[in-house]
Formats: sequence, C-alpha cells, structure tokens
Amino acid sequence: MVNSNADALGIIFPNSYDSLVPELVSERLMASIPFAGRYRMVDFILSSMVNCGIDNVSIIVRKNYHSLMDHLGSGREWDLTRKNGGLNIVPPFAEKNIKIYNGRVEALASIIPFLQDQKEKYVVMADANIAANFDFRALIDAHVASGADVTIAYTEDVLPEAEKEEDLSRDFFYTLKLDGTRVEKIYVNLKEDGPQNFSMNIYVIDRELLINQIHTAFVRGYVYFERDILAPRLDRFNVQAFKYEGYAARITNMRSYFEENMKLLDDQNLDALFEGNPIYTKIRDDNPTRYINGSKGTNILVADGCVIEGEVENSILFRGVKVKKGAKVKNCILMQDTEIGENANVEYVITDKNATISAGKEIKGTDTFQVFVAKYQTV
Amino acid sequence: MAKEMIAMLLAGGQGSRLYALTQKLAKPAVPFGGKYRIIDFPLSNCVNSGIDTVGILTQYQPMVLNEYIGNGQPWDLDRLYGGVHVLPPYQQASGSDWYKGTANAIYQNIPFIERYNPQYVIILSGDQICKQDYSDFLRFHKEKNAEFSVAVMEVPWEEASRFGLMVADENDKITEFQEKPKNPKSNLASMGIYIFNWDILRKYLVEDEADPNSENDFGNNIIPNLLRDGRNMYAYHFDGYWKDVGTISSLWEANMEVLDPENSGINIFDENWKIYSRNSGMTGHKLGADAVVENSMITDGCRVHGSIRHSILFAGVKVEAGARVEDAVVMGGTVIKAGAVVEHCIIAENVVIGENAVVGAMPTEGQKGVATVGSGVVIGAGAKIGPDAMINKNVEGGEERW
Repeated sequence: MVNSNADALGIIFPNSYDSLVPELVSERLMASIPFAGRYRMVDFILSSMVNCGIDNVSIIVRKNYHSLMDHLGSGREWDLTRKNGGLNIVPPFAEKNIKIYNGRVEALASIIPFLQDQKEKYVVMADANIAANFDFRALIDAHVASGADVTIAYTEDVLPEAEKEEDLSRDFFYTLKLDGTRVEKIYVNLKEDGPQNFSMNIYVIDRELLINQIHTAFVRGYVYFERDILAPRLDRFNVQAFKYEGYAARITNMRSYFEENMKLLDDQNLDALFEGNPIYTKIRDDNPTRYINGSKGTNILVADGCVIEGEVENSILFRGVKVKKGAKVKNCILMQDTEIGENANVEYVITDKNATISAGKEIKGTDTFQVFVAKYQTV
Repeated sequence: MAKEMIAMLLAGGQGSRLYALTQKLAKPAVPFGGKYRIIDFPLSNCVNSGIDTVGILTQYQPMVLNEYIGNGQPWDLDRLYGGVHVLPPYQQASGSDWYKGTANAIYQNIPFIERYNPQYVIILSGDQICKQDYSDFLRFHKEKNAEFSVAVMEVPWEEASRFGLMVADENDKITEFQEKPKNPKSNLASMGIYIFNWDILRKYLVEDEADPNSENDFGNNIIPNLLRDGRNMYAYHFDGYWKDVGTISSLWEANMEVLDPENSGINIFDENWKIYSRNSGMTGHKLGADAVVENSMITDGCRVHGSIRHSILFAGVKVEAGARVEDAVVMGGTVIKAGAVVEHCIIAENVVIGENAVVGAMPTEGQKGVATVGSGVVIGAGAKIGPDAMINKNVEGGEERW
C-alpha cells in the first residue's frame, strides 16, 4: 500500500498549563483559548499533525472540555473524519473511585487498551499551549535516524522575568541539559538567567515502549511523564533533543497571551506562523468584514464577520466583532462577537467572547496589565 | 421515500457577455461579494428553504464548478438521501447529446428526478443574485392549486420590453406570455424560477423532446405549450432584491450594492438567511499602519498597505503601499503593487497589477466603462488599461490598452 501517512499516532493534552491563565479558562481549557484572530490554540498543533500525515489523533480531555468538543465537532475541518483513525476525543470516565487525572502518566494510563490496539510504530505527544506550524515529519525523521528511545522538541529561549514569579506548583516547565543532542538532565522549573533549552513538551516515542513505561509507572503511582519517568532514567534511555527553530508562540500567563497575540501585528511574525502549511479551524460562514461610516483602521489583524464603524488601532479582532460609531479601540484583543458601543473608548483591554462594552464607557489598562472582560459580560 | 420538492439548478450558461471572467469557468462559478460565488445564492436559498436535494446541470467549463461544489458539505448538502449532485451531459446507449436547451437539460435527467419521486420540482437559474424563500413560493403554488408557477418581478414599464413578460389576471392566473415584446401588455418579468407539479413537467418535457422543431427551451417552448393547453398557471410576485449578473456592468453594480445593504436591499449580513460558501481557510486580514480603508469590504487573508475606497477585496488580496483602489471589485489572490491605481473596474483572481500601473478610470460624462482584467493576467509596471478594456492576456510594462 502506498503510505502517504506518517507511521505515528498523535496524542494531545488540551488541559496542560490551564492553571497559568485562570481568566481565560474559567469556561474552557488551554486548547480552546482563542488566538490570532480566528483560531483556537489546539488548531495549530492539530493542523501541524494533519499536515504531516498524522491522521489518528487522540485528545485526552480532563475538564472544561465543552468548548473544545464544540470547536472540534467531528474533526471535519481538520480532515479527521476517517473510517480508520481520525479524531478521537477521550473524556475521563465518570466513576466514583477514579480521580480526574493530574499528570500525563494518569492520562495515558486511561488509554492503554486503545494504544495497544493501534498499528502505528510511533506516538507523538504534545500540549496545546504553543502555537506553531510544527514540522512533525522532521521530528519523526530525526527520531528514527538517531535511534533514540524518546525525542524531545525544545526551543532556546530566555525565561522572561515575569515568569519567574509564577506559581508553578501544579504545572511544571522543563529545561534540558544537553550533551550534543543527547539529553543529560531534565530540570523542573529551573529559574536561571540567560538562554535555556525549554522543552516544548512535544515528544516522539516508540508506542510499545510508551505502553510499557506507562504501565509500570502507573502501578507505582507516578504522575508526571517527564519528572517521574524520563528524568530518573536518562542514563538508561537514549533521550534525544530536537531543536525547533521555527516560529513559536508560547502561552505561559495572561501577559504572554497578550504579547504573543500582539506580536502577530508584525507581518514578519504573521508570515512566519502561517506561511507554509495551512492552519485549519472551525468554519463559521461569516461574511467579509465591513468598514463603514468613517471608520479608521491602522495596524490591525481582523477576521471575517466584523463591522467596523469606529477607530481601531494596534488591535486583534476575532470573528464577528462590532465596533460602533465614534468608538475608539487601541491595543486591544477583542474575541468573537464582542461589541464596543458608540463612543466607548477602550485601551489595553482583552474582551472574551460575546462581551459588550456599553456606549460611552471608558476602560483603560496598561501595556503590562490589561483589563479583562469575561465571556458574556457587559461593562 | 418521496421528497416533496427537489431543485434543478441550471448552471450550464457560458456567460459570454462576461467574456474575460468566464474564459476558464462557468458563469455560476464567477466570484461575487467578497467570498462567494454566484451559485452560493441559489444553493443557500435551497438549504435555507428546506430543500435538501439539488441537481446542478453543468455543461460549459465545469471543472472549477465541480471542484467548488465537491460533496456539497459547505452548504450542508452532503446527505445520505438527496444532497447536491452535479449532472453533466452523458453518453447513453442510444448516443450522446449536449444539453440542447434548458428543457432538454432537465429532460435528459428525468431518471435523476424519478429517484426521489417528488411532488414538485423547482427550476432555478445559476446566474442570479437573489435571496429568496422558495418555501413561500411553494406555499403560493399549493394555495393556488397551480400546475405551474413562475416567480415574477415588477419592472419599470419602459424597460419591460427587455424581459419575458407574464400577463396575469387579478387572481395572478397567467393568461398570456410575451417574450421581449415591442408592445408590453404587462410589467411582470419572469425571473426564470419555476415550480412545476412533477407529473405535468414530465409530460411536457417528453412531448417537447418529441417535437423536432422545438428549441427545447422553457421560455420559448414549454411555457407556450402549457398556455396552449390552458393549464393552471400562476405568477408569484417577488419584491426582494434580484439581479441578473450577466454583464460586466451589472456584475460590478451588484457587487457595489452589496457594499450598501442599507439602501440596495441585498443584505448578505443577515444571520437568519446566511449565504454559505467554500471557505478560503486563510488567516484574518491585516491593515498596515499606512492603510486607509473606507466604505469597503475586506475578506480573510488580505494584506492592505494602500488606500481602499468603496471597494470589495476577496480572500488573500495584497495591496502594497501607495496603491489606490476605488470603486473596484478585486477577486481572490490578486496583488496590486506599490503606486498602482485601480478604479471602477473588476479584477479577476490571481492577477498581478504592476507598480504604478493604472487600471480603469472613474466614470465621466462621456464614459462609464468598467475595465475588466481576466484571471491570472500580469499587468506590467506603468501599464495603462483604459476604462472600456477587457484584458485576458498579459500586458507588458508601459503599454497602453483601451
């Protein structure tokens, strides 16, 4: 048979790092956070997998997954409505004595029977807190070529000052110490200055090996794949690092959420994220955006379905946003179907879906602290 | 199980008066209104009216149209029983035939219609921009106990002689049909949208096919035959927006009317009557710091650095700094380079307008032409395209075309 697909199945953990953006996940999870004007965070990793021929993708949801189910539907927009494989959303079993999972080990343990039935040789795993047009083929090729047991994708970055203050007692981040490309040590929440090798939490691993390790780890009560399985066994396992040098937007808190959106107002960044393979998302069938009644738009990224009558500057508008006459919008992120009333004046504001700013209201945040207006809220 | 009513959509029109725009695609596939194609209107009307079975009769340049329709999913017409089917002419044991006329196209697909055993068949036209509730039309047809109904528009008396006209009595019963008459007796123009009782339609199609002198056309043959036999024929008055976009100027005009839904009556922004289309899947559009956009519609994927006034940009159009676009319809993927001036014109898909080139001109007393550039054409830097030009071949830099 002609094999146009990668010999790998995908697993996505949509709830990872939920705790870092509490405002945005009060009614959703990391994977369904709106990003870049018309997407949700999960669109990037999911489209990347599909574009690399991974068409058997499981999403192991933990909680607040209603919005994600609504977004993904049958998976048609990602070409994942298949007889074999396709999209597989795995909710937690609602049983009295089974807790909702905490780490990756527990999540994976819940799908061991499924994993045993699959045919793909490799498993790729990823979180949904990074928006990147990721080349999984290159990662898998590197994994096969090096003969590694596990390959981890990482980026070289400096930890922003603000993040050193974050409470990371529940969601860990990992940095890698390398010997060539081999991972020598995995640090948990290391807050060092200067460039670090930050794990993207994107992994390739042999499916059989993953099943064995998860089985053993689960029995012993381990929780975290990186901390409890990989880190203590780096001498036994050949764990390789794969440096990702493409564009990546990593959401670690509200501030980075704002900044990573705003960075896309630079054409170079926008091109870097969207050039090449397409990123798919749910279709809404909005009409084109209208600019009427003396509107003014400068340096803005706007999705379809908006009606702009006021002045909008340095902002990102999601689908179906209405900016009424005389309103001024500057340095804002306005999510789906937000309405800015007549003569309202908003600056450094993030509005969640269906938020309304009443006519004449003035709301101003700052570049380091944006005012957040919650879903369906009217100010 | 029988369907109450199915739709047959005539989409074979070559659209020869749209010349540069229909070199490579059928008229119903011509892009319209920022992110649609003409055929999205009748298809969306069908779905919004509850019709779930549509046969699309294609003949001329069907490739783009076939690909666009696909399995019908964007219109929710991917159904287990029914859905959308593209019906090109095909070879039969007794020989093969192109569709000789509108009636012959339906005649050749009688077996398709019979699979659904419908009570009624609605015949639609794939080259009109119109939002219409066909279920209200059917309600009228049933109330009148009609065998045939035609949707009509009141047109100004002075223009009536350009249309096929229905003469009807006070109960809307049709008494006479006049095709483009010199002395109109009515101002009720046929919109080319018909509802037939299927048994009647079938009978007249078979009879028409047997007549060697027939042109196999609804307007010229079927309707006169129905009249001759004194069938129950009624005229359904439609007073919404309706436009035949068969010419460059009417196509341009209809696009401009989309920009002004408050006054023109064509509102594609209606949440309760959505027009569906196959999506570009591009990211949001981007206005640069130097962009000026006034009274315009911009679609996903556009990058704008120049100035856009009273224009429609389709998906993925790029307008570089210093370029000026006014009263223009610019279709998907076109690039307008720095300093170019694009006015009062239609630019088809994937065109490149070179630096400082000039395409079209704002209308004056003596000329009201809509310059037209066909798809894939490259207009060289500094070239000049006059307001009456129809361009479907590349134009070198500095050249002039009138």
